[in-house]
Amino acid sequence: MKRIVGAVLAGLMTFGLVFGLAASLNLTSDSLGSATTVVAACQATAMNATYTSTYTAGAPGPGYTVGTVTITGLAATCYSKPYKVTLGGAAGASLGEATGTTPAAGTTIVVTFAPVIAATSVTAISVVISG
Amino acid sequence: MTLWRRAAAAILLTATGAAVGAAASLSFTSGTLGAATTATPRCTAAALTVFQNLSAGTVISVTVGVLPAACGGATLLVTVNNGATNASGSAAVPGGGGSLTVTLGSALAVSVSEQTDLVLVGP
Repeated sequence: MKRIVGAVLAGLMTFGLVFGLAASLNLTSDSLGSATTVVAACQATAMNATYTSTYTAGAPGPGYTVGTVTITGLAATCYSKPYKVTLGGAAGASLGEATGTTPAAGTTIVVTFAPVIAATSVTAISVVISG
Repeated sequence: MTLWRRAAAAILLTATGAAVGAAASLSFTSGTLGAATTATPRCTAAALTVFQNLSAGTVISVTVGVLPAACGGATLLVTVNNGATNASGSAAVPGGGGSLTVTLGSALAVSVSEQTDLVLVGP
């Protein structure tokens, strides 16, 4: 019995090898791997920006300037992540950018701009949080 | 080697081949990235009236008028600069807007040329 089974297996392997060789081509390939993943924001709830204006006698004054922007509504899922805040002016021009890391607790980010920015020029604010 | 051992070896080889095949796929994750831009609105674009209130050769307060209701609840900051120094004050705009007098922190000597700056913050 063992001999019969052995013979059948040997026969199948031989034919398989022959058929495999007859059908194969010499082909190599560079590697190719792909995947898709979602880039999500760390929070979906709204945040709000408020401005602290102070009078500046020197440049860019004399006049009122913005040196601090307070952003409220930070969620815990956005803790300890790098951020950028940009104040924009006419035609979308950047008036100044501040960077930092979101706090590890609380709901408020206090962003300081140095140098200060003329309040009359500020028409928009942009925020990005990554990480 | 028995038939069963041969079969086990064949299964092992097949499983190994399948594992090598699965290694061709990529696996990665992404950090979060959220961004937003919003306009910084003005509660009014209309002209406001500004009057300096004088007392004994000094400016003691400033009255700002024609404030629309949309500015109600905002904080009005006013600074008068006489070229040598300046004085500031602030007050909350009434809910319905209208007119508001802001008292300066210190009386400012009247000069030939003065500049009055104001800003509405909030609501």
